[in-house]
Amino acid sequence: MRYYETIYIVDPNLENTILQKTMTEIGQELEKTKAKIINHRDWGKKRLAYQVDNQKYGSFILLQFEIKELSKMNDFDSWLKLNNLVLRHMTVSLDQKPDKYVDKSIVTEDAESLSDNKDNKIDVEKSLDPETTETNKEE
Amino acid sequence: MAFQNKRKFCFFKENGIVDIDYKDVKLLRRFVNDQGKIMPRRITGTSAKMHRKLVRAIKRSRSIALMPYVENNLE
Repeated sequence: MRYYETIYIVDPNLENTILQKTMTEIGQELEKTKAKIINHRDWGKKRLAYQVDNQKYGSFILLQFEIKELSKMNDFDSWLKLNNLVLRHMTVSLDQKPDKYVDKSIVTEDAESLSDNKDNKIDVEKSLDPETTETNKEE
Repeated sequence: MAFQNKRKFCFFKENGIVDIDYKDVKLLRRFVNDQGKIMPRRITGTSAKMHRKLVRAIKRSRSIALMPYVENNLE
C-alpha cells in the first residue's frame, strides 16, 4: 500500500459552490481508480510565484490518498490535465501515512488527543523563529 | 548573505528536521538567493544528505508555482 498526495491549483475566482462541486467531481474521478481518499481539503488562496494561464492567484487544494493499483493513475492524471478548471497539478508519493486533517477551529475540544500530531509542526515553527530574528539583526 | 561570518552547521540537523516538505515555502526561501537560485552547500552548510532532499523540495515547489524559477531582482 502506498500513499500519494496530489496538489492542484484551481481558478481563484470560482464561487464556493462551484469549487465544492469541482472538488467532489475530482474526488469521484479518483475513486474510480479504487483509491481511498484520506484528506481532501482547500489549502487556501495563494499568490502564484509566476503566472499560470494569465492568473496571478490560485486556490490550492490538497488531496491525499492511498492506492493499490497504479495502472489507472495515468487516466486520472490525464483527466486532470484535460480539466479546464484545474490550472496545474502534481502528484507526489509520501513516505508515511498522512494524518487526518482536522480543522483548527474544531480542534480545541479534541486538543489532547491530537497533541501528538501537532507537536511536530509546532517544533518546526519554534525552531524557525529564533533563526529568523537572528538574521534580521545581522542585516 | 546571512550565512557569512558564521559557524557553519546543517540547519536541518540542528533543528531535528528529517523530511523537507515542498509546501513549506517559508523554510525553503532561506536556501534560495534573491534571484531564486538554490544556494550551494558550501555557503549554507547543509549536509549532503539534507541538501539532496532540499533540492528536490525546492524543485517540486517551483513546478507547482509556490516558488519562482527565476526572479529578476537585478538592478
